[in-house]
Amino acid sequence: MPRRIAIVEDDPAIRANTVDALKRHGYEVAAYADRAEALAALRVRLPDLAVIDIGLGDEFDGGFALCRELRALSPALPIIFLTARDSDFDVVAGLRMGADDYLTKDVSLPHLLARIAALFRRAELAREPQQAADVIERGPLRLDAQRLAATWRGAPVPLTLTEFWMVHTLAKFPGHVKQREQLMRDANLVVDDGTITSHIKRLRKKFQAVDPDFEQIETVYGMGYRWKAA
Amino acid sequence: MRPRLGFSPGLRAQLALVALTLLALPWAGYRYVKEMERFLLEGQEQAQIATARAIATALNGRPQLMRLQPAIDSELRKEAEAELQQLAAAHGQTPAPAVGAAAAAPSESREIARESAPHEQVAEIDAILAGLERSTARIWVVNRDYRVLALAGSLKRPEAAAAPDFWQKLLGLLIKRPTEDFDAAIAADVLATGREIAGALQGTPGARVRNTPDGRAVVVSAAYPIWNGEDVLGAVVVEETTNSILSVRSKALERLLLVTLAAFAIAAAVLLAFATRLSHRIRRLRDEAESAIDARGRLTTRIDAGSDARDEIGDLSRSFSTVLARLSQHHAYLESMASRLSHELRTPIAVVRSSLENLDLQPLPGEARVYIGRAEQGLARLNTILTRMSEATRLEQGLAAQERERFDLAALVAGCVEGYRGAYPGHAFELRLPGGAIEVDGAPDLAAQLLDKLVANAADFSVPGAAIAVSVEREEEQEGRVARVSVQNQGPPLPDEMRGKLFESMISVRKERGGEPHLGLGLYIARLIAEFHGGSVRADNLPSGGGVAVSATFRLG
Repeated sequence: MPRRIAIVEDDPAIRANTVDALKRHGYEVAAYADRAEALAALRVRLPDLAVIDIGLGDEFDGGFALCRELRALSPALPIIFLTARDSDFDVVAGLRMGADDYLTKDVSLPHLLARIAALFRRAELAREPQQAADVIERGPLRLDAQRLAATWRGAPVPLTLTEFWMVHTLAKFPGHVKQREQLMRDANLVVDDGTITSHIKRLRKKFQAVDPDFEQIETVYGMGYRWKAA
Repeated sequence: MRPRLGFSPGLRAQLALVALTLLALPWAGYRYVKEMERFLLEGQEQAQIATARAIATALNGRPQLMRLQPAIDSELRKEAEAELQQLAAAHGQTPAPAVGAAAAAPSESREIARESAPHEQVAEIDAILAGLERSTARIWVVNRDYRVLALAGSLKRPEAAAAPDFWQKLLGLLIKRPTEDFDAAIAADVLATGREIAGALQGTPGARVRNTPDGRAVVVSAAYPIWNGEDVLGAVVVEETTNSILSVRSKALERLLLVTLAAFAIAAAVLLAFATRLSHRIRRLRDEAESAIDARGRLTTRIDAGSDARDEIGDLSRSFSTVLARLSQHHAYLESMASRLSHELRTPIAVVRSSLENLDLQPLPGEARVYIGRAEQGLARLNTILTRMSEATRLEQGLAAQERERFDLAALVAGCVEGYRGAYPGHAFELRLPGGAIEVDGAPDLAAQLLDKLVANAADFSVPGAAIAVSVEREEEQEGRVARVSVQNQGPPLPDEMRGKLFESMISVRKERGGEPHLGLGLYIARLIAEFHGGSVRADNLPSGGGVAVSATFRLG
C-alpha cells in the first residue's frame, strides 16, 4: 500500500509540481490549499507524512497553527515545514511547534524526496523492534543512521533531520575540521553561512540540555567546525 | 547644516531686550510725580497768596501803619540785612516766640523796623504778623517805597531728627533731598526785581518762584497788596520754601525707585526662568531631533521632549514625531525591501525550479537537457543573489539578539588566516600579530565573518599572486583602547569619491565581470559587525599608492 503524503501549500504551481514529483515516486498525495480545508480532511484520515507551508493564503502563520493541531491529533506523525520564510525566528518557531524538519523553498525536489524518505525510515524503525543498524559510536555519542536517532550518555537527543546529518558528518571523523560548505552539502542545506552558525548553536544547546558539560562541537575560526576527538 | 549659534543666550537676550519696555513704567511714574509736584506747587502758591491776603486784609485801611519813613540810607539797610540773617539763623532753631516773649528776646525779627519806625506802630504790625506766623513761612510787610516794615517767621523748617540710614544715603545719591542748609538772606535784588512785589504794589496779587541766593533751595513768594481805599499802601509778602513739597516728591521718587527695582527684579527673575525653561525645552527638542537620525541615516529614537505639552513647542514636538514616524515607515520599507524582495522572489523561483526538476525527470531529447542545464545555472545564480540580499538584513536582525562572550581576537585571526591559506590557493597570506592574547567582548562567529568579508574583498582586488597582509594592532583612540584588524592588498587604489561610501549597502567599485554576482554587501556587513563590537571600519590607500588597506576596529575592555 503506497504511503500517503499530505501537502498544504497555497501556491498552486508549487503545489502541483510537488504533487507530481511525489506521485512519480510512488507516493499517494493529497494536496490542500488552506488550513481549514486541510484540517477538515486530515481529521477524517491522517496521512503518513505532512508537508506544510507556513503562510497559507490570508493566514500569515497558518502553517504553525496547523502543525500544532496535527501534532495534537498524532504525536508520531512526521511533519516537514517547506516555506519561503528563512528567518531564524521562523525556524525556531517551526521546530518548537513539533515539526520534524524545516526546509526552505530553495531545497530541490530530489532533496525533499530524500528527506521524506528518511523521515519515513525513521518513523518505520521507531515502530519496529530493535535490530542491527548503521550505528556510529563516539564516546558517549551514539548515532543510529537507520533510525536517524541520536543519544548522548544514553539519553535521546531530539534532533531534526538537518541537525542529525550535521552531527553525523562531524562525528564520523572526530578531529577533522568540516567546512561550512561540507556541512551544508551533507545536511542537504542550501543556506548561507549565518544559518549554519545558528544551526550549530541550536545543536550545542540541544546537547547541553541533556548534558550541561557538553562541549564536543568546536568552532575552528575561518575553517569550520569539528567534533572533538575524545 | 548652518553653524550653530549660541541658541539659549539668543532667546534669553531677546527676551531681555523685550523686557526693556518695562523701563517705560518708572518713566511714567516719574512723570506722574512731576505732575503731582506741579499741582502741589500751585496749591502752595495759592495758599501763600491766601495767607498774604489775610494779613493784607488785617492791615487794610490803616495808612498810619504804612506811613513809616525809615531812614533811607544804605547802611541801615545793610544792617537790617545782616540782622535778618542772624535772626533767620536763630529762628531756624527756636520756634516762633509768643508776642509777650518778643520784647525779651533781642534777636527778634520784629525788631527790624524798630530803628526806622515808631515803636508802637511797628509793634502793632508785629502783633498782627505774630498772629499769622507760621513756622515754615517768612512774612514781611513792604511799603510802597520797597521798605521792609516788618518781618516774621523763618524759611527754615526744623530739621528732621532721624539720621539717614544706609539705604537712604544710597538713595540720596540718586534722588536729591531738599536741604534746610541754604542761604535764607533776602538778596538786594529780591525787593527790586521781585515781580510779585512790584505787581502787588501796583495792586495785583501774584506769586513767584525763585531760587535762594545760593541756589540750594527754591522759594515761593506770594505778594498781596494792602489797600487803603483805592490806594495801595504796601504789600504783604509771604515766602516759603518748596522743601515740604520736595520732600514729598523725593519720598515718592524713592518709593517709586524701590518699587520699580523690586518689580524689575521679580520680572527679570520670572522672565529669566521662563526663557531658560523655554530654551531648555527647545534645546531638548533640538537634541532629540538631531539624535533621532544617526550618522547612517537610521531612525534611532522617537521624540518625546514636550510631546504632552499643549503649547506650540508641544505641537512642534508632535509634528516632529509624526514626520519621524512617516520617515521611519518609509525607511523600514526601504530597509526591508531587499529581504522582502528576496522573500517574494523565492516562491516564483521555487515554481521554476520545481518545474525544471519535474521536467528533468521526463524523457527528453538531448538538446533539451542543455537548456535545462543552463536554466538551472541561472537559477542557482539567482538564488545566490537572493541569499546575499537577505544576509545583511538577517545579520542586522540577528545582532540585536546576539549573545556576547569573551574571546581572543588574535587567536581567531590566526585561525582564520590559516583557513584562508587553504581557501585562497592563489594568494599568499602574511600575518602580523602583537604578542599575547587580545580579549574582546563580542561574537567570535561574527568576528570571523567580518574577517571573511575583508579578506574576500582584498582577494578580489589583489594583483594575482600578490600577498595579502593581515595584521592586528592595539591602538589608543579617543574613546578608548581598540584592536585594529587590517587587511592589505596590492592592487589599484580606491577612487577618492568612493572611500566614504564603500561601507554602505549595495555599493561596489568592482568592475563588472562574470561569475559570482556582487551586490556590494560584503563591506556593509563588515561595518555592521564592527559597529556591533563598538568599533568602526575604514578603507585607505596605502602610502605607496599600490594598494588598499581595509581595517576594522574592536573595542577593548
